[in-house]
Amino acid sequence: MTRTRLTPAEHTHLWDSFRDGDRMAFSQLYEFFAADLYRYGYNLVRNRQVVEDCLHELFLHIHEKRAQLGPTDNIQFYLFRALRRRLLDTVARLNRFDSDDYLFDNAEFLIQSHESYLIDNELIVEQKTILIAELNKLPRRQKEILYLVYMKELTYPQAAEVMGIALKSVYNTINTALTTLRGHVQASVQQRSVLLSLLAMVFSQFINN
Amino acid sequence: MPYFLFTVEDFCRDHAFINWVIRPTPESNHFWQTFMAEHPHKQPDIQMATDYIKTIEFHETNPSEADLARLKERIWSDAYPASEQQAGRVIQWYRRPYWAAAAVLFLVSLLGVAWWQYNADTSYKTAYGKIQEIRLPDGSVVTLNGHSTLRVAKNLTENTVREVWLDGEAYFDIANRHGAKFIVHTTTAQVEVLGTEFNVNCRRQQTHVVLNEGKVQLMADNQPAVLMQPGDMATVTPTKSHIQVKRVQPKTYDAWKESYLVLDGKSLPDIISSLQDTFGVTIQLDDAQLARKKLTGKLRTEVIADCIDNLALILDAEVSRNGTTYSIK
Repeated sequence: MTRTRLTPAEHTHLWDSFRDGDRMAFSQLYEFFAADLYRYGYNLVRNRQVVEDCLHELFLHIHEKRAQLGPTDNIQFYLFRALRRRLLDTVARLNRFDSDDYLFDNAEFLIQSHESYLIDNELIVEQKTILIAELNKLPRRQKEILYLVYMKELTYPQAAEVMGIALKSVYNTINTALTTLRGHVQASVQQRSVLLSLLAMVFSQFINN
Repeated sequence: MPYFLFTVEDFCRDHAFINWVIRPTPESNHFWQTFMAEHPHKQPDIQMATDYIKTIEFHETNPSEADLARLKERIWSDAYPASEQQAGRVIQWYRRPYWAAAAVLFLVSLLGVAWWQYNADTSYKTAYGKIQEIRLPDGSVVTLNGHSTLRVAKNLTENTVREVWLDGEAYFDIANRHGAKFIVHTTTAQVEVLGTEFNVNCRRQQTHVVLNEGKVQLMADNQPAVLMQPGDMATVTPTKSHIQVKRVQPKTYDAWKESYLVLDGKSLPDIISSLQDTFGVTIQLDDAQLARKKLTGKLRTEVIADCIDNLALILDAEVSRNGTTYSIK
C-alpha cells in the first residue's frame, strides 16, 4: 500500500474530478483513502463486518450524490467525518443505547521503540509501560481526539467537527495528555538524576581513596 | 510563528510541527533543520516534543490487500451495475445490419461446440484438506490442494495449446512437448508455460504464481504480461493496473504438497485465511493483539486439529473447538 501524501491542492483537484463524474478519480479515492478509513473504522468499532458495510454504503453514497457534494481540500477529514456519523447511526440501530459510548472502545495506545533521550533501556520500557497505562485510562473520547490529532494530523477544528464536539473539549484533552506526559517524563528524569548523583558519589569516594 | 519562544508543550500543540513529526516531507525537514541550526538552544525542547508526539501512537489493525480488493469489488458492482452495459449492447445489435444476425448465429454455433467440448472435458475436485496427484495424458503432473477444482481440456495432448482451468490451488510439473504451450486459466489470470514447475494459488479473487523452475508468462486482462524467472512470485489483482512481482523462496509456497505450512513472517490473519480456504475450518480470533502477530516457522498440516493446536501454542493462546469451528483467544 503506497502512502502517498497529497497537497491540499491535489486533494481539491481529485475531489473536483470525482464530483464531475471522473471514474478514475473515484477509483483513486478508494486507493488513497480506503485503508485509512478502514483503520479508523476498526478503531471505532471492533467489527469488520460492520466497518466494511459502512464503508460500502459510504462509497456508494458519495458516488450517487457526487454532483451535490461540496468542495474540500482535505478528503480524509471529509470522509472520516462521514464514516464516523455512519458508524454512530449503525451502532445506535444495533444497540439502541447512547451509542457514542461504544465508539473507540477498544483502541489502545502502543508502546513503540523509537530513540529517546533517556539512556537506560530498562528504565525506558518501565516508564513507558506506566505512561501508556496512564494514557489508556483516559476516557475513550479523549483517546479518539489524540488519535485524530496526533496520528491522523487533523487540526483541532477538524477533529472537533469529525467527532461533533466543542473545540474547547479538544484543547482540554490535549492539555490533559501533555500534562500526563510531562509528569512521567519528569519522574524519569528525576530518577536518572538520582542515579547519576549516586554514581557520582560512588566514583568520588573511589577516587578519593 | 515565534517558534524560538515555544515551550515543549507549545510545539506539541502546533499543527505544522505535529505534521512534521508524523509525516516529514523534504520541505518540512528543511525548515525544521534550519530552525534547529539557527536556534540550538531549542533542540532539547524539540527533541522532547518529538518524543511526546511519537509516544501517542495507537494499535492499528491493517486491512489486507485481499480485504480491500473484495470491498472494492462490492462497491464497484453496485456503483456500476453490469446490466447498464448489457442493455447498451442489445440495442446496438438490434440496430446492426442483416449480416450481424449471421455473425450471431455463427457465434452461437461456436458456443455450442465449446459447450460440447466442455462436456467432454475431465474435471477433478478435491474435498477440504485432501491432496490429489493427477497425471495428465501429456505426462504432466498436477498436485491439487484441498478444496480445489481442475478442469482439463479434452484431447490435451493433440491440441496445439494444452489448456486447464484451476479454481483453488495446485502445483504444476509440466512436461515439455515439442514447444506446445501449456496454459493454466484462473478467473483472474492466464499462466502460459513451455515446460516447467510452478505453484498457482487463485483463492480470494487474486492469482499468485510462484515459479520453481523454467519459464512462465503470466497474463491478465488490462495488465501488461509478465515474464517470470525462477524464484519470482507474481500476484494478479484484478483491481490493480499491474502484476506485482517479488522474490521468494519457492519452498515456502509448495510445502503444502508435503503437508507442511511454511511461514515466513506471515501475518496471523493470512495464515487463518489459508487454513480456512484449504481445510474448510472456521477460525475465530478473539484478540486484536493476536491479529497483529507475524509468524515464522513450519507447521504440519496433516491433521488440521493438531495444526491449530500448535498454532495456539506458538501464540501462547487458548483454543476451543466446536465441530469445524475453532476459537483462539
